[in-house]
Formats: sequence, structure tokens, C-alpha cells
Amino acid sequence: MASGESSKFNLHATYLKNLQNHEISPPLAAILSLSELVVNSGAGTMFELVKELHEGAEVLKKSTTNPISLNAGCELFIAFVTLFPHESDSFAELKSELMRQGQKYAREAISYRDKIAELTLGFIKDDSVILTHSYSRVVMKALLHAHKTKRISVYVTEARPRGLGIKTYEELTAAGIPCTVVLDSAVAYVMDKVDFVLVGSEAVVESGGLINAVGSSQIAIIAKASNKPFYALAESYKFHRLFPLSQYDLPTHNPNILSFRSPQITAAQGSASGVSPDNQTPAINDISTFMTPAISSSRTMSADQIVCNPDVDYTRPNLISLVFSDVGTLTPEAISQYLVAMFAG
Amino acid sequence: MSTVDIATTPSGSQRSVETLVSKLRRRQVVGSRDAALETVLVLRQVVSKARFSNIDQLVAIIRSVGRRLVDAQPKEHSVGNTVRKVLHHIREEYNTASKGTAASSSKVTYTISNFVLQGQPRKQTVAPKSEAIITLKENDPDDPDSFSRALKPVLMEAIQDVLDELETVYDNVSKNAKDHIHSDEIILTIGHSRTVESFLKQAAHYRSYTVIVAETGPSYKGHEMAQSLSAAGISTFLVPDSSIYAIMSRVNKVIIGAHAILANGGMFAITGSLLAATAARVHSTPVVVCAGQFKFTPLWNLYHDFGALDFADPSSVLGFEEGSLVDNVDVLNPYYDYVGPELVDVFITNDGDHPPSSVYRLIKESYDDDDHEL
Repeated sequence: MASGESSKFNLHATYLKNLQNHEISPPLAAILSLSELVVNSGAGTMFELVKELHEGAEVLKKSTTNPISLNAGCELFIAFVTLFPHESDSFAELKSELMRQGQKYAREAISYRDKIAELTLGFIKDDSVILTHSYSRVVMKALLHAHKTKRISVYVTEARPRGLGIKTYEELTAAGIPCTVVLDSAVAYVMDKVDFVLVGSEAVVESGGLINAVGSSQIAIIAKASNKPFYALAESYKFHRLFPLSQYDLPTHNPNILSFRSPQITAAQGSASGVSPDNQTPAINDISTFMTPAISSSRTMSADQIVCNPDVDYTRPNLISLVFSDVGTLTPEAISQYLVAMFAG
Repeated sequence: MSTVDIATTPSGSQRSVETLVSKLRRRQVVGSRDAALETVLVLRQVVSKARFSNIDQLVAIIRSVGRRLVDAQPKEHSVGNTVRKVLHHIREEYNTASKGTAASSSKVTYTISNFVLQGQPRKQTVAPKSEAIITLKENDPDDPDSFSRALKPVLMEAIQDVLDELETVYDNVSKNAKDHIHSDEIILTIGHSRTVESFLKQAAHYRSYTVIVAETGPSYKGHEMAQSLSAAGISTFLVPDSSIYAIMSRVNKVIIGAHAILANGGMFAITGSLLAATAARVHSTPVVVCAGQFKFTPLWNLYHDFGALDFADPSSVLGFEEGSLVDNVDVLNPYYDYVGPELVDVFITNDGDHPPSSVYRLIKESYDDDDHEL
């Protein structure tokens, strides 16, 4: 399909272009790019169009290492297209209508963070101490919004290895909110001083659980152990039809993560025969050649070691107190109900 | 919204509103069910006397009355709930009635955000009660009353439904009592909840079991409860509150009442309930809450507010006869405990048994979202 080939190239570029806007998160960028794909596609029937969208989603998915939130956006848009009533006179008209709908939604969706911030405000009492994790745009919005009317102080985890907690720290301090960065390993130490935990999300899934920057799960476990509420913020386009039963069911999990290296492999020319069965992808050897002894002696993780670690983790629903989203305050059970009604209804 | 003021409601119904406002303020009406009942009666009068020529005016009238009642006693949550329920029923009746005249005037546009909202819990559409389609003419300039004349009989019926629900609430809650209490069980209860009282008495018709009543200081409502239960022939023990924990290992079930149930599945219940529920959790004893659905309150976050609790007269804790102490200590007598959703196993309501996690759904189904703030 010639037209499909030409739009494939555009699709990824469009996606990246959409992501340039700081307000636009991956799922929205995906929806925007797919809606442009709709008008650019040469599909003549609904069946072809949906097929092309699925292919497009696949292309986007392959282009990134962490496709979870992007997938949520793609799925939402494709489910919407599939169920869209055919009322237009011509198929071309239907396609441009679909694109308008996609763009309209993206415009609306930008205001969702304000809605969530407003909703969260009701749960923040004056003089609260809040623990947050890494960097999340919606959490920043909520905290900055709360700062207008209430006194809050924030502990933020450093969130290794990307160190995005520092970004949160800088933005909050610039806004005049008292903020302290804590080690990822000091969460249990700080928990007693905290009123509640507030995290963003990569996606919320059908079990009612949460996928977010790695470390969220352990924070939730510690919060549960000290009886502190654990709130997650999620825009409704992050609702994702996925049912992970463990950390290793996430689409981001690959054999590299948590694999054991035989001691010889660090000596660059390690043969694959002696290593664990998981550890057979050629990528590992490629990366390990980058590693120099100098880096490993400086007691920080080498790039090679970081590769063995996950970016995101899964937080079980029983650890989450509430999820605030633009469609309202939801319990984890409500999330699964939403997802079932949206995609199975 | 304040374009239609309370002033447009005729003086007769205004007087009844005023009476209830002052009764609520003076605490002459206490208890969720009594407050709810009084509220329906006042609303019925308001609607029957109200003059309106479209639905928005009527809703505004009811809301303004509702706001006044809620402000009079914000801690009596059932007042606001009843107003919301009446509004919900009225809108529903209006929608079924207006279907005949303005066919599908409010057609839902299909957008992605509406697609997401499909996930929202909705009430299964009830078959319309009024089979005969009434012709409704909104904002008729010649005869502004024609709208209200046509709609009022249906509205009265809708309000009567709310009233009927309240009047039969105890019977409906205790309908299945015998399935929850088994022979020779030991039940612990606290306070004097009418719902629990009728529930236990109903079960006593079929089973012989023992009830342990905590005396529930400082109001000692447990005394009344114990008296009433033993008068009904139930084997009853009265114990001091301080022995709840010690006794819990022998208890099969804790059955308590509620003052208000929040959207997260937590609830306000008489002081001591938190103690009983926590003790029950330690012994893995099931905690069963009996309550009518009119106690479901569309609020999530009251537990942050110490002031959300109601405080009773401190003299029952420390009277003036302790003169020398009174000057030196502050005495607080909170009337309710906040019991979190994790401590409750099931709510037995007049419409089925529900776990705390599905309370939010029932609330979404029985009230309209825009009424959460009256």
C-alpha cells in the first residue's frame, strides 16, 4: 500500500512535532498524530482505515522504549473511530470529521490538568506535607494550584537514574514552595513526616493499578504500611486497557531488565554460553563495550547497569487510596469499571 | 442561579421552610431519617405551591430551599441528600414527560470526551411511571402556569416515591436480616441506631442469638438499645465501652449504624464505632453497617476536617459538679467517629448489600453530578 508507506514516515515526525509542545503528553501527541493519519490515509473503507490506524499505532510503539502511555492514547482513538457513527455523506468527509474530533479532544484535554488540580485541592488541608515522586506535569499543576490558597511543603524523591526529582525541586522552589529532595532510599525515613503521597501516572490500568516512574510501587507500599493516603493523578486519556498481574507483565519489561551478568562479561569479550538464559540479546554486548573501568570505579551506576533497570513499575490497586482524574474522584475499582464500560460496552 | 429567589415561592411554603430551618438550627429535628423526612415534606409543599414556567425555574427554587436547609444544619447530611434525590427524581420525570413533546431535543454529540464518559456508572433506565404522555409547553407567554399545571401531578408522584422510600427504610433494611444473623451467634453493637434495632428484632423472629451492647458513653444510648432489645426477647448483655476490645474475641459479628456514608465508603457513626471497628479488624471479625441509602452523601474528603465532626454538650463528660476541674481543662465531646472504608465489610441498605468500594457508584446513580454543590 503506497499511501500507507508515505504516511508512515510522516507519522513519527508528526508525533515528535506534537511532543514539542510542553503541554502535550505522549497519549495526546499520539491521538493528534493518528488523527492526521486519518486524513492523509488513502483508505476507502472503515476496515482499511482502522487497519491503517493499527499499523500506525504499531509504528509509534516501535519508535520508543516506553510505549505504555502512548498506547493508551492510540487505543482510545482507535476505539473511538471504530464506534463513531457513520453520518457523513462521503468517506472523505467522515475522515476530516474524525480529525476534527481528535484535535478538538486534544484542545479540551489540555485543560484536564486544571480540573484535576482543582479536584485535588479539596484533599489538601492547610499546612500539609506532601511526598511526591519524580516529575509529573499534572502533579506540578496540582501543587502550584494548591500553593495559591494553602500552605504546603513538599518532599520529592530524587528518582534515579534520571534525577527528575531535581526538576520538580527547582520548579517548586522557584514558585516559593518549601521543598526538599530526598533519596529514593529515604522514603521510609521520611514517611512519618508526610500527610499523604501524590504521584502522577504513566497509565492507570484495568485492575485499578497504576503504572508510573519506577519507585512508585515501593512508595505506595511504605505509605500503606504507615497508613498514609496514596493519591494518583491521571488524565482520562491515560486509562489503559491492560491487566498486569506483576511487574514483569508490563510491556516495558524485556529480558535485559534484571538480568544477571556473568563476571566475565564485564571483561568485554564474554561469551553468551555461561550466562543466564535471559541474557542472550546481542544488545547487551553492544552496550557493555561502552563501559570503561573508570566509570565503574566512580561508584555510580554505569550505563550498562542502568539498562538492567526498569523505567516504570506497577503499583497494585490495593495500595492506592484514590485516583483523581478529569472525570472525577475515582477509587481503583471505579477505574476498572470505566475501562470496561469504555472498551467493552 | 439566584435569579429565582426564595421570595418567588409563595408565603405558605416559605413559612414551612422557615419552620424547618429553625427546627434544624435548634436541634429539634435530629437523626438522619427524621431530618430527611421533614425535608421531603417541606419540599413537597414548596413544589406544590411553586409557580414556574420551565424546569430551570423549578430546579432553582428547590435548590435555593435546599441551600437554606443545608446551611441551617450542615452536619445533618441527609437533608442535602434528600434535596439532591428529589432534584434527581424531578429531572427524570421531566425528561420522560418531555420526550413526547420535544423529541430528542438534547441529542448527545459524539466526541472523544463523551466516549470516555461512557464509562461513568449510570442508573438503568427505569420504565416511566406515567404512561400517558403529557403535553408540556415551556415558557408559554399566554399561560405561564400551563407548564407547572401539566407537570405537577407527576412531580408529586416523584416526591411521594422519595417519601415512601424513607418511610419503609427500616423494613427494607431488615428484610434479609435472618440471612445475616445465624443461630447462637454473638453480635456486638454500639449506640442506639433505629435501623440496627429493627434489623436485630427482625432477625430475632427466626433465630435465637445474643447481642452485646456497648453502653456508648457519654450519651449512654446503649442503655436504651439494650432495654429495647431485651424487651423484644433477645438475650442481651450491656458492657462498658472499655471492654469492647477484650470481648471482641467472642464476637461473631459487629453490627452498627451510620450517620452519613461518604462516597469513598467511609462513614460517620456514633463515637465508639471506630473503637469497635478497629477492634473487630484486629480479630478479623466482620463489621456490618445497616443504613438506608438516604445516608449516602456525595462527599469524599470530610475526614480531613476535624470540624466535620459534630460536637455534643461537654457536660455529660465533665459536669459543673466537678467545679475545680472545669476551669482547668478543655472538654470535648465529639458525637461522631469517622470510620474509614477499610474497616467496614458491608453496608446493608434498603436496596441491597454493598461493599464500601461500590458506594461511589450508588451515589453517581442516585444523584445528579451538578447537584453535589447545592
